[in-house]
Amino acid sequence: MLQDHTPAFYMIDLTSRNGPTARRMQPEKMASLGLLIAGLAHEINTPLGAIHSNNDTIARSITRIGQLLDREASLDPAERRMAEGRLIEVIRELCQNTLVATERLNSIVGSLKTFIHRDEAGFRKADIHPGIDSTLTIVQHRLTDRIRVEKRYGSVPAVECHPDRLNQVFMNLLVNASQAIADEGVITIETFRKGSLIGVSIADTGVGIPEENLPRIFDPGFTTKGVGVGTGLGLSICYQIVEEHRGRIEVSSGASGTTFTIVLPIARRAR
Amino acid sequence: MTDLARPAILLVDDEEMIVTSIKSFLAVETDYHLLAYTSPLTALQDLEARITTIDLAISDYLMPEMDGISFLADVKRKFPLAPRILLTGYADKGNAIQAINRVGLYQYIEKPWNNDDLRLVIHNGLEKAALLRQLEEKVHEVERVHKELNDVQREILRVFV
Repeated sequence: MLQDHTPAFYMIDLTSRNGPTARRMQPEKMASLGLLIAGLAHEINTPLGAIHSNNDTIARSITRIGQLLDREASLDPAERRMAEGRLIEVIRELCQNTLVATERLNSIVGSLKTFIHRDEAGFRKADIHPGIDSTLTIVQHRLTDRIRVEKRYGSVPAVECHPDRLNQVFMNLLVNASQAIADEGVITIETFRKGSLIGVSIADTGVGIPEENLPRIFDPGFTTKGVGVGTGLGLSICYQIVEEHRGRIEVSSGASGTTFTIVLPIARRAR
Repeated sequence: MTDLARPAILLVDDEEMIVTSIKSFLAVETDYHLLAYTSPLTALQDLEARITTIDLAISDYLMPEMDGISFLADVKRKFPLAPRILLTGYADKGNAIQAINRVGLYQYIEKPWNNDDLRLVIHNGLEKAALLRQLEEKVHEVERVHKELNDVQREILRVFV
């Protein structure tokens, strides 16, 4: 797939003095592999650290309970029961904590799977508007009162797509947009048709992406959000999903905000 | 130290699961009085209002609100004698070590950590803090005696000269 196909996305720099310019970019995927691994190592070390420590503390607690049982005769029964109760409470809490940690590890592995997984089976004709709407419902809690969402849906036919995966793209872009807006702002979602293509643009009135970062935003592992906030996989997953749809993703960014535009063919003909 | 038997330890990590793990371990193995937070900003607010001292502070490095180095620098302003320990994930180790050298932290611990190491680092940090405190008391004592001697000398001079 990749070898006979030049990945196409365009950086449109609105801040340039000579007006908007478009450059064709090649993703530098290998260079960012190290970044990706470093980010993942950090992501994994948090739940791993918790599990490692929990296991040790649970073992210590069990040893202590054993000691209390051995010295049963020489101890005040009420005091012993209290000590045991406290240790059992610790074990219970840590088991719950380990469960949370393993769920975290699961979701990290899940996002990696999504990243490498190309699923040909789930393609069908679908209307994109319900997908955008349901994704909006999911991210609503992030928007609260501070962000107004403006929908400008055009007359768009059903497209051959993998609806769940497209929703994942909308989700990532909407979350990014909400994070780019520091206080109050607007996210504008526009859909349109252009010949045999349809387009979805998601525009925010946020801080914008610094020019030096634009060539790297689709690289796996690249993030400016800080570890723990972003994995650096979001946009590279978007890129990959759009590529799977034989579409393209474009970005324009300046002082007044960022716009991502996804362009998809209505019919996904075999290449 | 306000309570010699129960040193007060401050712990901040934005990950609830890390706080729970360390809190439980220290509860089982030590009798430290632990003040645990998932928000460095809330921790700083509480510290401002705090009357008794903090004997040692442990902080995560990468947190959304502020990084651990800045947080521990703020802790130092309020409690200058408390040793400060940084918890770091692997990815930020290089940055963390640079920062540690710049601001002079007591120790750093890597995630995933070993509980025995953690306990030892805390124990040694508390011991160091106790020694520093004793030293400070002795210095004050010496200064006080020195001032008394000066006063006596002045008095003698005034009377006899």
